[in-house]
Amino acid sequence: MKTSFKAMLFIMLLSFFLAPPVLAQEETGGGSELEKLRTENEEIRKRLDTLELDNEEARHSFGMLSRFVEVSGYADAEFYLTDKDGESSRFRVRHLSLFFIKDIQKEWKLFSEIEYEDAPLIESAHTTDDAANVQGKLFVEQMYVEYHPDLAWDIRFGRFLTPAGIWNIYHYPPYVPTQERPLMVRKIFPQVSDGVQARYSFNTGGYTFDTHLYAANGAGNPGRLDRNENKAMGARLNAGHGALSSGISLYAERDNSGVERRAAGAHFMANLSPFKFQAEYQYRDNDPETGAGFIDRGFYAQVMYDIGAWTFAARYDWYDPDSGSKDADMFRYTGALNYHFAENVVAKAEYNRNELESGEDYNEAIFSIVVAIGDL
Amino acid sequence: MYRVVFATVSFAFFAFHAATAFAGTVAVIVNSSNAHKSMSAGEIRGLYTNATLEWPDGTPVTLYDLAISDPVRSVFSEAVLSKSPIKAAEEWAHLKITNQAKNPPIAIKSEALIVRRVSREKGAIGYVTLEAARQKEGVRIVNIFQN
Repeated sequence: MKTSFKAMLFIMLLSFFLAPPVLAQEETGGGSELEKLRTENEEIRKRLDTLELDNEEARHSFGMLSRFVEVSGYADAEFYLTDKDGESSRFRVRHLSLFFIKDIQKEWKLFSEIEYEDAPLIESAHTTDDAANVQGKLFVEQMYVEYHPDLAWDIRFGRFLTPAGIWNIYHYPPYVPTQERPLMVRKIFPQVSDGVQARYSFNTGGYTFDTHLYAANGAGNPGRLDRNENKAMGARLNAGHGALSSGISLYAERDNSGVERRAAGAHFMANLSPFKFQAEYQYRDNDPETGAGFIDRGFYAQVMYDIGAWTFAARYDWYDPDSGSKDADMFRYTGALNYHFAENVVAKAEYNRNELESGEDYNEAIFSIVVAIGDL
Repeated sequence: MYRVVFATVSFAFFAFHAATAFAGTVAVIVNSSNAHKSMSAGEIRGLYTNATLEWPDGTPVTLYDLAISDPVRSVFSEAVLSKSPIKAAEEWAHLKITNQAKNPPIAIKSEALIVRRVSREKGAIGYVTLEAARQKEGVRIVNIFQN
C-alpha cells in the first residue's frame, strides 16, 4: 500500500514538473493555429457575403432584363343594385385593362393600354347585333411612343389620356375610392386624344411645376374619322408645394360639325395624410356655326380618410350639360368604403344618390373587388 | 369560452404586431461623393415624392426602397412620408400605371444590396438600418429616424 502510494506520488510529481512545458508548448501552437483558422473563417465569410450580394444583384438585374415586355393592369368585378327605371340589379365583369409597356431603348418607350370592358364577346353569330345588344367593349385606351431623354421632360406620340384636371388622368379603379367617375368627367374634356404631347417639369421657389402641351385630332376624332384640318390644342399646368397642389387645364377645338369648343378647368388637391381632398371645376363654351351656343359645366369635391386598411370617402357631384336649359342639372351624393387587403387588392362598397332636375331621382349601390396586376 | 376567444385574438394581435414592429434606427444614406452632409426629412420627402428629380449639381436622383413588407420601410415611410408603406406603394402604382411617375423608386429586398448600390452610384439615395450603414465605405449617413 505504502509502495503504491509512493509510486503514485512520484508519478504526480513527475507530471507536475514535466507537464507544464508540454502543455504550454501545445497551447502556444494551438493558439496560433486557432488565430489562423479565425482569420481564414473571417475571409471565407467575407467572400460568401460578396458572393451572396453578387448573386442577389445578378438575380435583380436579370429580373429587370428579362422583362422583354412588361405586362401590368387591373381588373374588377362588381354587383350593381339600382332602383332606376328600366335598370335591374346585376353582376358585372366591368374592367380588364392590360398595359403592355416596353422600354425599346434607354430613351424610348412603347406604352399601351388595351381595355376589355364588360367582357366583350366577338364572334360571327354576333356580327348582326345592333349596337345596343353588342356585348362589351374592346378599346385601345392608350398607345403611344415616348421619347424621354431626361427625367424633366418627355414627348408622346400616339393616343394618350387627355391631360386635364385630376380624374381624367388619375382614375384607375384600384386607386380611386369609387367605381363611378364624377358626372362631368370625359364630358367636357375628351377622355383620350390622338396626337402629340410634350411634358416639362421644373422646380422654382419651392414649387414643383408640371406642364403639358398637346395637339390632337379633337374629341371623338380618332384616326381616320378626323374630317377636318382643324386640330385641337390643349395645355395643363400643375403646381405642387408640399402636400398641396393645384392647376389649370385648357382645351380648344373645332369639331367635325363646325362647333367651336373652348374648355377650361381648375383643380385642387390636398394630400394631408390620413386626409385627402380633391376638387375640380370644368367649363366649356360651345359655339356652333349656326344656331345658339350653349355652355356645359361641372364640379365635384371629394374627401377621403384612411384608417389602417380602411378608406372612407364622400363626394359631391354636379353637372350641367346645358346652362340654357332649366332642368338639365344633375347632382350626385356619394359615400364609399374601401378595404385594402393589400396594396393591389381592394374591396369597395359605394352608394350613389342621383338627383336630376328633370325629376328622375334614383339610387345605386355598387359592391366590387378590384385587383392591380404586374410590377407596379 | 369568450375568454379563450378573447385571449386568442389578443395574443394573435400582439404577436403579429410584435413580429412586424421594428424598434431600431433607420439611416438614410447617399453616395459619399454627394455634396449633402445632412438632409432634412422635407428634403428627403421631396426626392421620394418626385418633387425633386436632380441633385444640385444636376446628377439625376436614383431612389432605392425596401420591400413593402419590410419593417424598416415602415419606419421610413411613416417618419418621412407620413403614410404607411402600402399607401405610398398605391400612390406610386397609380402614377406608374398612368405613366406619370417621373422617377419611381427601385424596390430591393436586401439592405446590403442597397448599401452597395448607393456606394457605387453617385446620384443614389436609400435607407437601411443604422447597423447596416455604419462604417460602410462609399456611403454617408445624412439623417436617421427612429420608430
